[in-house]
Amino acid sequence: MSALLEIRDLVTAYGKIEALKGVTLEVQQESITCLLGPNGAGKTTLMMSIAGILKPRQGAIQFGGENIAGRPPHAIVAKGIALVPENRLVFPTMTVLENLQAGAYQQGDKKTIAEDIDRMFVRFPRLKERIEQQAGTLSGGEQQMLAVARALMSRPKLLLMDEPSLGLAPLVVEEIFRIVTDLHRDGTTIFLVEQNAHMALKVAQHFYLMEQGKVSFSGTPGALAEDEVIRRAYLGSSKT
Amino acid sequence: MTDLAQNTLDGLFLGSSYALLALGFTLIFGVLRRVNLSFGPAIMFGCYAATWVNLNFGVGLMALALITVAGAVLAGAYVERLCFAPHRNGSPIAAMVASFALWMQFEELATIALPRHIYDFPPLHGGTPLEFGGLMLRVESLVMLLAAIVMCAVLWGILYRTRFGVALRAVIDQPQAAQLAGIDVPRVFVLTFALASAIGGLAGFLIAASHEQVTPMLGMWSTLKGLLAMMLGGLGSLPGAVLGGLALGLLEAHSQWFLGPQYRDLLAYLLLFVLLAARVPWMTTRSAS
Repeated sequence: MSALLEIRDLVTAYGKIEALKGVTLEVQQESITCLLGPNGAGKTTLMMSIAGILKPRQGAIQFGGENIAGRPPHAIVAKGIALVPENRLVFPTMTVLENLQAGAYQQGDKKTIAEDIDRMFVRFPRLKERIEQQAGTLSGGEQQMLAVARALMSRPKLLLMDEPSLGLAPLVVEEIFRIVTDLHRDGTTIFLVEQNAHMALKVAQHFYLMEQGKVSFSGTPGALAEDEVIRRAYLGSSKT
Repeated sequence: MTDLAQNTLDGLFLGSSYALLALGFTLIFGVLRRVNLSFGPAIMFGCYAATWVNLNFGVGLMALALITVAGAVLAGAYVERLCFAPHRNGSPIAAMVASFALWMQFEELATIALPRHIYDFPPLHGGTPLEFGGLMLRVESLVMLLAAIVMCAVLWGILYRTRFGVALRAVIDQPQAAQLAGIDVPRVFVLTFALASAIGGLAGFLIAASHEQVTPMLGMWSTLKGLLAMMLGGLGSLPGAVLGGLALGLLEAHSQWFLGPQYRDLLAYLLLFVLLAARVPWMTTRSAS
């Protein structure tokens, strides 16, 4: 296995406040890698920096052997990275179909787009039932599936997911994680931010703990007792 | 009875010019969430460019229309680059004030190039109004109404039947997700400005041809009417912009007849005030489609 994504000493700041204080981590090709940590640790900031929404101040983001740090978001999508953002952010007044079409914005060929949309409907049959419905009227779980499908429409090599289970009922969370493992089995590399450490550790091959803008632990899911991971993921370790 | 019908007709014609202005305004507001005070002055710039060419070289109507639209698009792109691109993530007030400064630029430029206060603009038709069963119809008014209908159809086609339309609505709906979907958002901004200015330029040409004159005040007039119509229709809604424009035209035509010209603008602003104070439902939503 080789690293698809390599982040070195990444610093991203909001004004004078550094949210990432030199983050270094790797995502291996065809793996599920998970990022855990308490609120405010900088997990979303990291995702937004990789996706190009936030411009890092220092450091490198190597993707497929090329430094993409600071490139605009549409250029990063073109490279093969898609982010399923926190809170899903579907296009609320557009239909399910139009949301998928927007996700395929950079795909030139109409026939390929139509085939990809059909594939999404096989993977997410619920979306097919709602094809002409405005995305804003979908349930939380359906919106999450739409957000994942929209990201997949750009045919990414690396799928970033920011808290896909946030605010969803336990059964729906199970379904989202089943989709994550399905996607992984079909060859997509996934880098996942999760609050639900229990579920995340079940699917991931590797995980990172992040605290106060830095990676504080890195290992395979067995490397640390789960209750210890969960404690540190929710509370951080610095207080003990 | 004939008066009422005539006023309603006049109001609809007047309103269709407001609707065109409001459409341009709404596109920019919907995409950028910024008020572009220079929208009207950019249109005025287009009309002045056409007038200047006409005075010096004497060209035909079609050429004048093209020059007006091209001038407005150029001025619109200039406004976007100078006022809105630098403040994309910054203060909406800074962008608005910057657009006010460019308004002054356009007015000064117009008075330097053509120093008289009023210049003739060639009419579309020039002949006497047509008459139908006691109702008077100006050719200019008919063309204006037709242009508004055609522009609505074209705009609908662009928004709902093209790839650019999907991108534009995505940016209006959820700008960050649009970026994540791989849409080049800054490019959508510039193209939206160009599209809105082209609609505005067309409206400007028809208004100038129907008034048969241009003055530097055309800029302020277009901004105020467009802004008012946009607000009446609910900020950021395209169908609302059309309805707001028509409603404003009808209101002005009727109040002018029943109350006198001095109450015409007062009543329009009073209505806006009452609607805002009463928080009518369509004004509190911010959806764009």
